[in-house]
Amino acid sequence: MLNVLRRRLNIPPRDQWRATIAKIIDDRVRIITAGLSIRELRAVMRGDPPTEKPNPRYKVITTSFIAHLRPRYYPQAATWFTHTYRLGFFTTFLFIVEVITGVILMVYYIPFPDQAYESIKAIESNVFFGELLRDLHRLGAEGMVIFSWLHLLRTYFTGSYKGPRTFTWLTGVILLLITAWLSFTGYLLPWDQLAYWAVTVGTSITESGPVVGPALNLLMRGAPDIGTGGLLRFYLQHVILFPLLAILFISIHYYKVSREHSISLPALVEETQRTPDQKKEDNRRIDLIPDLLSHEVFLVSLGIFIMLAILFFRGFASPLETHANPQQTPLDTKAPWYFWWLQGLLKIDPAAIIENLVNPVFETFGLGFRLELSKLLNSKFIMGLIVPPALVLTLMAIPYIDRNPSRLARKRPFAIMWGVAWVFIVIALSFMGTPQFGIETPPATRIIQDLAPEEGEGALRAIPYEELQQGIYVVGEDYGPDLCPTLAYQPDPEGDVNNVVVGCPNLTAVFREFSEKLFAAEADGLLPDLNASLIVEQFQFNLARVTPHVEWTDPETGDAKTYEHTYFLHQDRPREE
Amino acid sequence: MKRVQLEIVLGTILVLLSAAIVIILGAREPQRLADYEVQQRAELIEFGASVFVTNCTRCHGTQAQGITGVAPSLRDENFFTRRLAEVGWQGSLEDYIVSVVTTGRQISTRPELYAGGGIPAMPTWSEKFGGPLRDDQIRAVAAFIMNFEPYALGQVATLEPLLPPVDESTPEGRGQAVFVQAGCAACHTISGISTGNIGPVLDGLASRAGDRVSGLTAEEYIRQSILDPSAYVVEGFADGIMPQTFGDTLTDEQINDLVAFLLTLQ
Ligand code: HEC
Ligand code: HEC
Ligand code: HEM
Repeated sequence: MLNVLRRRLNIPPRDQWRATIAKIIDDRVRIITAGLSIRELRAVMRGDPPTEKPNPRYKVITTSFIAHLRPRYYPQAATWFTHTYRLGFFTTFLFIVEVITGVILMVYYIPFPDQAYESIKAIESNVFFGELLRDLHRLGAEGMVIFSWLHLLRTYFTGSYKGPRTFTWLTGVILLLITAWLSFTGYLLPWDQLAYWAVTVGTSITESGPVVGPALNLLMRGAPDIGTGGLLRFYLQHVILFPLLAILFISIHYYKVSREHSISLPALVEETQRTPDQKKEDNRRIDLIPDLLSHEVFLVSLGIFIMLAILFFRGFASPLETHANPQQTPLDTKAPWYFWWLQGLLKIDPAAIIENLVNPVFETFGLGFRLELSKLLNSKFIMGLIVPPALVLTLMAIPYIDRNPSRLARKRPFAIMWGVAWVFIVIALSFMGTPQFGIETPPATRIIQDLAPEEGEGALRAIPYEELQQGIYVVGEDYGPDLCPTLAYQPDPEGDVNNVVVGCPNLTAVFREFSEKLFAAEADGLLPDLNASLIVEQFQFNLARVTPHVEWTDPETGDAKTYEHTYFLHQDRPREE
Repeated sequence: MKRVQLEIVLGTILVLLSAAIVIILGAREPQRLADYEVQQRAELIEFGASVFVTNCTRCHGTQAQGITGVAPSLRDENFFTRRLAEVGWQGSLEDYIVSVVTTGRQISTRPELYAGGGIPAMPTWSEKFGGPLRDDQIRAVAAFIMNFEPYALGQVATLEPLLPPVDESTPEGRGQAVFVQAGCAACHTISGISTGNIGPVLDGLASRAGDRVSGLTAEEYIRQSILDPSAYVVEGFADGIMPQTFGDTLTDEQINDLVAFLLTLQ
């Protein structure tokens, strides 16, 4: 009876139970790992050679879906650290960090102008690890931009775009564009002044285009000004369209690199005479399992650690300025730093440059003719809509322009020179793109703005609340070494009680700086008949009002001018140390 | 050690270090969240104060102390303790403020005391209903008004704005204080003292007051302007905007001081 049941249920005799269970488990493990047994897994972790023949580690790559993007092995020389610097790998790593943190942020973020800004504030003040997530996402985004550029430079300088890898390079350029657009669309989402104006300025470039320009601008913004529609469009591009495109193109890129062509061998190996021993070592197979994989796991843990360490030691913090205000254009509109080069480009006016070159020539020859290109050429259109796409096309065409078959640096001096030159050009353009360059603000406004920038803290807002002693401090009057000799306070009443600050050193320093800058401007003739003061009032029991006030006579028109700005400073406002 | 093992070991160490960082950050997190909450409230109040100063002072006074005949104080005990019951509001005071400011007030509930701008007594503020303010600005201004609570309940003392330092020993000095406290500052600009823009600028008033109405000296004219603003209406301004009630709400001494102060505006 029992025996019949046993046979029916396929239960083996007692003495074979162990072996049978072991086999069942082993079979399951093989299914999960796509081909590796337990024994094999152990060998992998120890770095031992394969335990079976044919090598089951290669089976993984043909069986597993995900591993289809991975190589079975790379030749040893292709894995030299100084060949790839793992830059492409870290770009991928950061992309995955972005996807994970981004999906969690999506749970809390609300993509509507009424609520977007407050939802970001809520993430920072109401979500456990909310600030960490936001910082990771923002750090990852900037990192991804940096790493994809560095990776591009590396593939350029090693000449890896040549020969069979032209298409890999092309997908790379597309990935660079996707990365840039992902970061740009993400930039708008916090809906603060920084975001709003950077994107407004950015999208306005398209407006200058002929015929379709205004329509294109409307398509991007959803309305003449960025509002509910525009924010939603940017949001959807940022969380759905472009991540999907990125996944698609990273997959293609990866497939090309790892399955089709392998990583290029260093030019040194490919094109110079190597001894037979070296040759053997160069071509030794470095298998995915375990060597490449263990290396990548290590790199991932390194990446995670570095990011967390940067945030732990406060090396990075996501900015959040005041709520977007379409009515108030900030004094300095800043694009994200990785777009400064574009901003720099926009400050160049090619028509004016050509005119300045050509017209003096016409004059010396006495021709009664002047070239007036500016009337024909809109510089925003050229520098914003013609030049950047042309640059991208050139970048894509590099493998076809550069017909030099050699990849050795010394055999392609022009290519190397061009590369270096471009790095410098981009740096120079970025420098021109920084807000300080080429924009002039009236001196009184600029001086007050320096003390208390519209966004960010500045010296004035950093003054501890205890030092904000009421008073009208008139510039030019002598108040002695400290403005508040009768004041004393404990900066840290819960900690070090013996730490007492006498007077108001910070307020005094701000007042000094204010006075000195004003006097300097007066001496330069910019602010004649200067009459200025710094007014500090108590507005509520824990809120002070500080008003720098400047009166002067306009040197050109002789009109009396006044400029003042009011700042409210709350006792509990965050003050950076 | 083989390279694979070395990398596994190093990787494990890094993962442990990362975990340690996460744990430390996690331990600090509740405190950080609490701090952020306080800081964000502080920033909201700062922001609300600037919204208030640009939009509300002309009716509610430079520091929300109210202006007789125009709009009520938003920082007195009545407002914080009895007002909700008076109007039958069920929710919190902060919500009441948000609601009133959002929609404005078509007709004053106390027209004889606070007529505001007539009809509407207070305009709609929310962008949603055609006003100038966004919702977050309205919430900020509500947070700012709520921040008067400890003061209204007498728990803390707020100094009056000291703009500019007042010399209480002279009639002119006291008059300047009255000018700010009585709400004149909300409507009139005097350089360095106030920025109101409902009524005429009072700079240089003393030099033109004597020529305004034939038969009245500068002093008499100024006194009349305060006690009976409709007797002479400055060109370009409507009659009836300046409250008619200062004769009742200010003492004779205060009015004398005020006149003395205004006479210094050469
Ligand atoms: C045109 C003058 C005017 C302006 C400007 C004005 N208010 Fe008012 N406000 C009034 C009047 C009048 C009332 C109604 C008093 C009543 O109904 O008794 C009022 C009522 C209020 C109330 C309710 C007070 C209560 O006791 O019920 C609040 C809160 C308030 N205002 C806030 C503001 C804020 C905030 C601003 C600036 C954004 C502002 N007001 C601007 C005139 C004004
Ligand atoms: C609600 C706004 C408002 C308030 C509050 C107010 N005024 Fe006026 N004031 C006006 C307007 C409007 C005029 C011009 C119309 C008129 O003459 O009645 C005016 C006119 C004057 C004038 C005449 C100016 C001239 O150039 O002839 C004086 C003086 C004056 N106000 C003083 C005061 C004093 C002092 C107070 C405080 C006790 C005060 N005002 C409060 C609105 C206001
Ligand atoms: C999102 C952006 C990108 C990702 C995730 C990515 C990923 C990778 C990875 C993982 C490799 C393997 C080699 C290595 O790690 O360096 C690689 C190789 C390569 N990438 Fe990219 N890449 C990106 C962008 C680009 C860009 C912008 C370019 C250049 C325009 C580019 C061109 C190439 C080329 C030519 C190779 C082959 C290199 C060789 O064989 O030596 N990639 N990429």
